[in-house]
Amino acid sequence: MGIFDKLGGKKDEKSRADFSDVQSGSSTTAAEPRAPAPVPDIGPTAGTSGQEQTYTVVAGDSLSKIAKRYYGDANQWHRIHEANRDQVTNPDLIHPGQRLKIPGA
Amino acid sequence: MMMMRHSRAIPFSVCFALLVTTAACRGDRRDTGATGTAGTTAVRVTDVTLGRSVDGDKAITDRTDTFRPNDTIYASVATDGSATSATLRARWVFEDGQVVDDSTRTIAPNNRERTEFHISKPNGWPAGKYKLEVSLDNRSVETKNFEVRGS
Repeated sequence: MGIFDKLGGKKDEKSRADFSDVQSGSSTTAAEPRAPAPVPDIGPTAGTSGQEQTYTVVAGDSLSKIAKRYYGDANQWHRIHEANRDQVTNPDLIHPGQRLKIPGA
Repeated sequence: MMMMRHSRAIPFSVCFALLVTTAACRGDRRDTGATGTAGTTAVRVTDVTLGRSVDGDKAITDRTDTFRPNDTIYASVATDGSATSATLRARWVFEDGQVVDDSTRTIAPNNRERTEFHISKPNGWPAGKYKLEVSLDNRSVETKNFEVRGS
């Protein structure tokens, strides 16, 4: 009886709160940042085809969006994914601040 | 003797007032010029409010810092200033130090804007004390404490 009290009762008191089901979101009256603006570290010569470039991910980005921006075709996302296999394991999951290699057109 | 001192004090105060007015006018002109030419001014968080709902302008309509377990908790962050990119971060923390949620939103604000962050928990919030830490471009700008009370 005493053992059951110890095993059952005190365990509950010490259990941590579980926040695994928390859902979140945000919205704003402000505009979204313009896409080409946060590309300060483009390769050495602008407009040079075949040159690899670097792009810093901002909130709201996806590989498709970035592909559309650089290649004019969202379906080219897999090229960016291939070039960044070392840091992008799930192509649906990229993070703001991540620096991606953009293979030349 | 007293009269002389008094009469000398008046011109000094007038000069001081003129100096202050001139400086203020110059300051106004500088601000306007910066906005007009560069198109950007330093972005700052002017207000953070908590509540149970927001309107279309992302302002809190039901302000409170005490919530019920099934409430959706909203934070409305007011900013002023213009920039091509500014990142707001809302980090919600429970009393035991657990991070409940950590969200960022990158915006291109133009003067006064509002950004709302919200969190909900289908299984109900544990009663206790929480805090919200708001950062702007990785700089902590405000912390708000709130509480969830059991129904």
